[in-house]
Amino acid sequence: MKEMQTQPNAVSRREFLKKAGFASVAVMAVSTVSSMFSTGGRSPLSWPGAQEAAAAGRDVREVLRANFGDRTIQPSHVMLKTPIIAENGAVVPVAIDSDLPMEAGNYVKKIYIFVDQNADPFIASTDLTPASGRAAYALRIKMRKTSLVRAIVETNKGVLYGDTKTVKVTIGGCGG
Amino acid sequence: MPKGVGKIRIRLPKHIAKGEVIPVKALITHPMETGLRKNKKTGKIIPAFYINDVRVYYGGELVTHADWSIAVSANPFMTCYVKADKAAPLKVVWKDIKGSVYEKTVQIQPE
Repeated sequence: MKEMQTQPNAVSRREFLKKAGFASVAVMAVSTVSSMFSTGGRSPLSWPGAQEAAAAGRDVREVLRANFGDRTIQPSHVMLKTPIIAENGAVVPVAIDSDLPMEAGNYVKKIYIFVDQNADPFIASTDLTPASGRAAYALRIKMRKTSLVRAIVETNKGVLYGDTKTVKVTIGGCGG
Repeated sequence: MPKGVGKIRIRLPKHIAKGEVIPVKALITHPMETGLRKNKKTGKIIPAFYINDVRVYYGGELVTHADWSIAVSANPFMTCYVKADKAAPLKVVWKDIKGSVYEKTVQIQPE
């Protein structure tokens, strides 16, 4: 009798663990998928870290809207290169490169750099001409704290492309 | 011009082929004061003093123009690109909010 009782219990426990394992994986999958698609705003670049940005001084979403209106930003053709960890927020090298053409009549007009968590998210913008030959720019910037960095490129036809990277700023230089 | 401000270094590749797109690396010494920092001893705000306009001319033609905010690092270092299709001077001009203009000209000599 005792054995009869423990046997089904053991099975159900195993079953339970099995199911729980599947369930947690499923929950994780659902949450990542939903976070990938619940963009909220129109621009695919306006959603990550937007809530934190709203808490900091000037909201990056307002700044983006002021610059680009409701135009969509395509996350392609632009490569933003930043350090993963910046030990000194006063000097963070960022480099923007793009494979977009630079010919007369079809070129990159402007490159923008934004940092969400800075008091003023606008860092710099650069006007280019076909004589530049390459849609690329590099600069050293200041970052108040860990934040998302956005590079947005505008072509002369008004099409927007962008890339984002998170840079971790460690104050004190411990690297942690 | 205050001491230690406006020292310029511009670096070009050693060998330039005609028509090649070359990087122009330009460094200028400048404090880039944001106007948000306080002097720790007196508690007074250090007034803003930063470069907000950079222009690159190649043979008299404006190639690149940059607008900078306070968030560009002190002693700004930038890299931009130019298509070296002629032997001509390359001039980089920086302007700060106090109206000072710093400029340097280097010669691009494609081989």
